Amino acid sequence: MIDEKALYRQLSDPSTREAAFTRLVREYQEPLYWQIRRMVLVHDDADDVLQNTFIKAWSAIDSFRGESRLQTWLFRIAINESLNHLSKKKQVVSLDQTEGSAADMLVGDSYFDGDEVQQQFQSAIGTLPDKQRLVFNLKYFDEMKYEDMSELLGTSIGALKASYHHAVRKISAFFEDND
Amino acid sequence: MKTYNYNTDELEAKLLSRFGAETPFAVPEGYFEGLPERVMSRIAERKRRRSIVWRWAAAAALVGCVAAGGMLFENRYNKHVAEAEDIQYIEDALEYSMIDNMSIASYLTEAEP
Repeated sequence: MIDEKALYRQLSDPSTREAAFTRLVREYQEPLYWQIRRMVLVHDDADDVLQNTFIKAWSAIDSFRGESRLQTWLFRIAINESLNHLSKKKQVVSLDQTEGSAADMLVGDSYFDGDEVQQQFQSAIGTLPDKQRLVFNLKYFDEMKYEDMSELLGTSIGALKASYHHAVRKISAFFEDND
Repeated sequence: MKTYNYNTDELEAKLLSRFGAETPFAVPEGYFEGLPERVMSRIAERKRRRSIVWRWAAAAALVGCVAAGGMLFENRYNKHVAEAEDIQYIEDALEYSMIDNMSIASYLTEAEP
């Protein structure tokens, strides 16, 4: 586990900044990647968003004052970049996009290992609005505590619980008729 | 199974038992090993481009100052009243040397190709 305080000192010093930032990339690239990938689904898009996340973090490093954890700060940038990416993509896709589109994307992606059951699950998750899907991913796949999620997203615990509640119901209802 | 018969925790448990909590996403071989270098190369490239822009801007500003200074110097020693075209010349020189802050800012923050 990396010493965040030491890393932060090295990032603040221009003479050690680049070496420290390289270490930061190595340390956080995987957890950031999987957050992003669950949102954007396709590897190439996740790669773009992850790189942009690190470039933005580099540009903004002077504004990071250590008031939150470095990891939290990076995650926030990654989440914003993912949501921006998704909303830009929606502007390009035609208006009659169907619910099956998430599954379609995964079938075409050679970096998806799942069977049809998993495709359907991802398809169901893909019907959620982006922010609700984010909350679902953080709670369901990462088992993030609501307190930590609240700090990360700047949303109240009550609102997050309600969001998760709706997400779980909607996904469950997706499979209701098939039981 | 009707969802309204179950609370959120129960529904969540059902999803977990049916689908699990692992997302079957894969990455290309060597992806994470190579990423730090790709990111740091992009950062180095941005620094290089930035320093080119600022050197150009500084040079242009210097030219503008020299041109304006030269005109004023000449006018004082020749005791000419500043002609309209002299004023225009100084204004043009200053305009060309003017750092357009908005366009530099947008250049620096634009998404990488």
